[in-house]
Order: sequence, then C-alpha cells, then structure tokens
Amino acid sequence: MTPTKRMDMDEMLQKIKDRQWALADIDWTAPGAETISDEFRPKLKAFMADLCWIENVGARGFAAMAKKAPTPTIAEIYRYFHAEEQRHANAELALMKRWGMLEDGEVPEPSVNIRMAIEWLDTYADDMPLSVLGTVIPMLEVALDGALLKFLLEEVHDPVCHQVFEKINNDESRHIAVDFEVLDLIGHAKARKLAIDFVANVATPGLIIGALMYVPLLNRMRNNLVGMGLQPEKLYRAMERFEKLGNRGEFTHRVPLFQVLRVHAAMVVDPKHPYHLVANTMVKVSEYYPRALFRPIPTWFKELTHEPTTKGVKKGMNAA
Amino acid sequence: MHTALVIGAGFTGLGTAIKLRESGIEDLVILERADRVGGTWRDATYPGAACDIPSQLYSFSFAKNPGWSRTYSPSAEIHAHIEELAERFDLVKDIRFNTEVTRLAFDKKEAHWVVSAGRRKFYARTVVVASGPLSDASLPGIRGIEDYQGAKILSARWDHDYDFAGKNVAVIGTGASAVQIIPELVKTAGSVKVFQRTAGWVMPRVDFETPAVAKAVFARVPAAQQAARTALFLAHEAAATGLVWDTPVTSLIQQAGKLHLRLTVKDKWLRRQLTPDFRAGCKRMLMSSDYYPALQQDNCKLITWPIATITPGGIQTSDGLQHEVDAIVFATGYDVHLEGPPYPVTGLDGQSLQDEWSGHPQAYKSASAHGYPNLFFTCGPNSGPGHNSLLVYVQGQIEYAVAGIRTIVEQDLRWLDVKKEVQDAYNVSMQKRLRSTTWMSGCASWYLTADGFNASMYPGFATQYLRQMQDFRIRDYEVSSAAAQRLWNASSTEPGRDLTAV
Repeated sequence: MTPTKRMDMDEMLQKIKDRQWALADIDWTAPGAETISDEFRPKLKAFMADLCWIENVGARGFAAMAKKAPTPTIAEIYRYFHAEEQRHANAELALMKRWGMLEDGEVPEPSVNIRMAIEWLDTYADDMPLSVLGTVIPMLEVALDGALLKFLLEEVHDPVCHQVFEKINNDESRHIAVDFEVLDLIGHAKARKLAIDFVANVATPGLIIGALMYVPLLNRMRNNLVGMGLQPEKLYRAMERFEKLGNRGEFTHRVPLFQVLRVHAAMVVDPKHPYHLVANTMVKVSEYYPRALFRPIPTWFKELTHEPTTKGVKKGMNAA
Repeated sequence: MHTALVIGAGFTGLGTAIKLRESGIEDLVILERADRVGGTWRDATYPGAACDIPSQLYSFSFAKNPGWSRTYSPSAEIHAHIEELAERFDLVKDIRFNTEVTRLAFDKKEAHWVVSAGRRKFYARTVVVASGPLSDASLPGIRGIEDYQGAKILSARWDHDYDFAGKNVAVIGTGASAVQIIPELVKTAGSVKVFQRTAGWVMPRVDFETPAVAKAVFARVPAAQQAARTALFLAHEAAATGLVWDTPVTSLIQQAGKLHLRLTVKDKWLRRQLTPDFRAGCKRMLMSSDYYPALQQDNCKLITWPIATITPGGIQTSDGLQHEVDAIVFATGYDVHLEGPPYPVTGLDGQSLQDEWSGHPQAYKSASAHGYPNLFFTCGPNSGPGHNSLLVYVQGQIEYAVAGIRTIVEQDLRWLDVKKEVQDAYNVSMQKRLRSTTWMSGCASWYLTADGFNASMYPGFATQYLRQMQDFRIRDYEVSSAAAQRLWNASSTEPGRDLTAV
C-alpha cells in the first residue's frame, strides 16, 4: 500500500477559521416555508428534533475529544468542531422555527434514547481514550449525519433548507476528513498500546453502557426514517461509507474498535440479520425506561437557540 | 555626559536610581516617556486593578511602606507609593519626563551610550534598561476588530470616560487582568459576556484590610515588617516546588484549584469549562476569590465558543450566534517584549540587539548581553518568577547593575562586556534546567516565543536567583581600561586601537 499523504492540520485549522458562518447570514423569512405540507409537518418535526439533538450530542463528543487531542492544533480544530456542531443544531432549530414547529420559547423534547446518550456523554465521555472517541465519533457523523442530511435534502424542497444544509455539509466534509485522518493517526500507534486501550476499555461500564445506548439510538433513527418513507438502504450506504473511508487510511484497520464498529455496521445494513430483533427490542425496552431516573438535563444541553442575534444575558433554557 | 542613565521611572527605574545614589553615583538621569512616574501601575487603572502578590512582598525591602491598606493593595495605592518613593528619595529632579527613548547606540570610540529620544540625545557611560516587560499594550489582531462600531476598551489603557452603567459588555480574555475586571463590571454593567479561550488556574485570594495596629507596629518597628516580609517570601519560595518544577506538588496545587472550583461553582458543565487543561504554573496563576462568583451572577455569562469574527455590532461566535454588545473590553494582556526593548539597540560593533534576540533572546544572569557593554537589563531574558514577587527579582537585578556600574566607575573602565563563552555556558545551563519546569510542560503561554523557546522565566528559587545576582564577577567580563587606553594613545604609533581584554 502506498503511504497516504498526511493532512496539514495547521492549514486545515486556518481553512476552518476562514469558513465560519452565522445564523444571521441566512434570511429565515425568505419564501419557501410553505412547501412543508401540514401532513408532513409533524413527522418532520420529530425528525428535526432528533437531528438537532444528535448534532448537540456530537458537539459534546468533540468537546471530549478536544481534551484528548494528540496535538494543540488538533485540539483547537476539535474546539471549532464542537462549536460547529452546536451551530448546526442552532440552524436546525431555526429551520423548525421557520416551519412553524416551535412555539415561542419551545425547545423540542429529546427522545429517551437521546437522553440516554446525553447521560452517557456527561458521565463517561471525558474519560474515554482518544482511540475510542476517535472511532465512535466518525461513525456517528458518517452514519447519522450523512444519511439524515441526504434524506432531508431529498424530501424537503424549501430553498432555505437547502441553503442551510449546503453550509452544514461543507462543515461536515471537513469534520469527516479530520476524523478519518485522526483515526489513521490512532492506528499508527503501537499495536500494544492499541490493544491495551481496547482491552482496558472494552470491559468498562463506560463502553458497555455506551454500546447499550448506541444500539437502540441507531435503530430508533433507522425506524423513524423508514416510517417517513426513507429507503433504509440510504442509511446503510452511509454506514458502508464508514468502512470505505476507514479503509482508505493506511493504519485505520489496526484500530480494534474500528473493526468492531465495521462488523456492527455490516449487521445493521443487513435488514434480515437477527441483530435487528435485539436492537428493536432494546428500542422498545428503552421506551419504558423510567424518566425519573434521568439526572437533570446538563446545562450544555440548554444552550441551543434559534435566535441568530442575542443581546444581554438570559440564563436557563435557550440561553445565549 | 552622565555616569548612569536609567530608562523608565516605574518601580524598577526609581529603585535603580535609589540604589545608585546610595552607592555614591549621583550623576544620573532617568528618562520617562510619560509625564508622571509609576510605569505599569500608572497605566493599569482598570476597575479592580491590584497586585496579586501580597504588598509586603510586592515592594522593595530597601524602601518599605508600613501603611499598605490591604494584603493585596489596589493599583492607585501602589501608584501613590511609587510617587511617594520619588519624593522621599528626591528623584524627581533627575527625571526627564515626556522623553521617550527611540534608539540606543554604543559609541565605541568614545566608550559611551548615545541615547536618542526623538531629536534629543543623551550621553551616558552606563545605561540601565528599566522600561518594564508589561509597559506596552495594543488591541489584539482579532478578525473584524476594525469594523466594530461600539466602544473598544483595552484593559491596560482603561477609558474612564466610558460609563458602563446598564450597558451590554463583552470581555475578551480571562487572564490576570480579566479576573480583576469582571467582578467589578458585573456590579455596574447591564450584562457581561466573558469570552474565554483557555481557562486558567484560579486560587482564592485572601485579601484583608491591614489592621491599624499592624500598620503602627510596622511603622515603629521596621524589623517586624521585615519579619512579615521574610515569612511571606519563604511561603512563596515553598510554592516553587510545585509552580516552577513539574512535581507531585504541582498536582496538589491543582487539587487545591479544583477544590476552589468545586466549592464556588455549582454547575457541572460550567466547572468543566473552567477547568484548566494544563499543568498548574505553566501559565500565570490567577488569584481571585470573586471571579467565579461573578461569572455566576444573573447578568454574567461565560462563553467558550471560539470567536469567529468581530462584527460591526458585536462578536460572532462559531456556534453561529451574534452577540450584540455596546462595548468590548480587551483584557488580552500586554505586548511582552521577549525580543528586547521596543526601540533599536546597537552594540559595540554596530550589531542590532533585536536581530540577535529575534527568536531566542539570551543574556548573562538576565542582566548583561555580550556585545552590548555597560548596558544592564532589568526583567531581561530568563529573569521572571512564576511563584514569587517580581520586585524581589528586580531588586536582585538592581543590585547587579549597581555593582557593575560601580566597578566601571571605581576601576576607571571604558567598558565592561560579558564574555561570550560565559554567556553561552550560562544559557546552556538555563535551558537544561528549564526542561523540568511547569512552563515547558506543553501549554502555550506568553512566557514562550512562537517556537516554544523559554527566554522569560528563571528556573529556580528566588533565593538562587538572588544569590547569583549578588555575585558580580569581573572575571566574567572583558574589560577595556581607560587608563591603559590613555597610556597607549600617548605612547603608541597606533593611537585609538581598542585594547579590550588587555
């Protein structure tokens, strides 16, 4: 295999800084909101709510990654990615507002699986090694973001939505490029270190609970999409992309968790695989998870807002 | 021509003049760019400005002030003390105010320094650079800053005419000045948004009013004040074991910092945002008991998203939001002159100090640089403390400069120039000793040059530093004797040939 050319992270950081955009760059009152039919609106609302929270969950993942980054430049890149995921969530919330899905001050309710993901991130993410976070985050980005965004652009014909997602997609392509570059860097570590990291974490409550959280979250999204008429193949194709992009790296295949997620992805993309029986049962079971057991929603989760401009300080929900 | 010329009439310049006088050197002049004495403490007038080392230690042992009002005195009181020093030691007559040095050049033939201040020129056998490391400040190069339409206020040059009452204010930066400004702004401004890039280690600052009885005792029994000073000095010296060197004590200090955070900040996420990700000591420690409470006030918010750009109306962060504000306070620190004074300095053979120090500044004992004879630096390369009072170090530098100047005068030397090999060996040792310090533990700070070279901090106890500064050794210098030169000129067919090291 010919050695792959390393990405210049300083150049990438500069590119990221140069390509920042704001909610205020978009005319949220431009025509096109009427293209959303009344029939489609409730389904789209549930979908957008999940999407927006997934961005927020991804953001929290990057915050954890920034603490583990192998170089100060990559740490700074993750700091931007953390903010950019938040920007995507804010923009998606602004779209929901535009489409009349949110009352004044309303914030969409996160599903039980999202709440679980939040709890997991808040409890375990900062303690996870880079080799775990650096593998899971690309999977979430490629699989969830990739499939969901594609679906939206096919189903929604509002030009503002397309304008927003063009910007989001541009950001995401940089995220994915860096994600897989770092994954390859992780794979470059000594096999012994990779094995120790993997073995030391595979049996930890953090990773086990993480897996228990991740499986129903993914299947719930899959089921929602299918319910809305999306061909599940689109989600599967996105998941296959994870393997494809990973295999482009020279050393990525050496990361044990990459192999686990790859095998898992193969099960997910096979609709006849018995895996789905288990996963869908987990989705159902999670619905019965007593809400009282959830800890209070962390404050980072309350930072989302659809307001492009803020003046003064508001504390609490939708603070900015 | 003056025997000695001092640049700057702040704490250091005045301290130098006091000690020069005390050693019998009366023929001196002090050049000051402003119209008043005080240096950094004249200019640092932002709300809440105070020292973060106890005043008993943040002063000269040879010019104490028994009347410090608090443990950590406010800037106006420190400035008043500096003005009082100028009066008490009758220094004002030697100060040339409104005289900003623009060039420093050594005249080899005449063996003196030519100090230009605009069109004016001063001549001096010796020069002490006391212009301070934190004397200049400018707006940072943040994208879009020039487009901002609101008030731009620099912490180091506070605009006292601007009324913050009820205004929406942004503060950029969370360093030593910011942690003093923010608690004050929160009291008057309508809202304060604090934009943080890196969280620092914040230790509680136990600040008491000095009891009247203590002031009276200090005034009548100077030994009591000296004892208090010594106790504080030793306590700070002990902190070096964790703040200078990266050791288990550093971890203990971090635990203390985390405990402070835990006890004063309720919200878990805010605590995470405020938890530093570098070793304690690597950047300057912050001392404040009211910064964390201020951040949690209803009208204050900490924002850790990167700043994407400054816009005409405020600040745009990378989470896509515009923060509209009436004023932006730039608490972004000082233009630290790691690469030499902010004016050209040319040495013995016309070489430029800025060129030589570009990248990796080096000096001998932080005070002398080879090729720049009869020139003494204060706050020079590798002279900074991370755990003790800067003025303790400055006092050592003053003693060293005075010893050098006295040697020049008493031995009738044309010049005294530190030997290159001595300077080189000293710096090799400095850099070796720096390796195990907290400053080199991987964070980016103003202590380091862009390429990570540490030319600012002294890797050791203050006691070690003072010991080396008390030991002025003429054998470390090449000397040019005025008497020998006169004799040579009178008897030789080559009059004027340089007899350095003869």
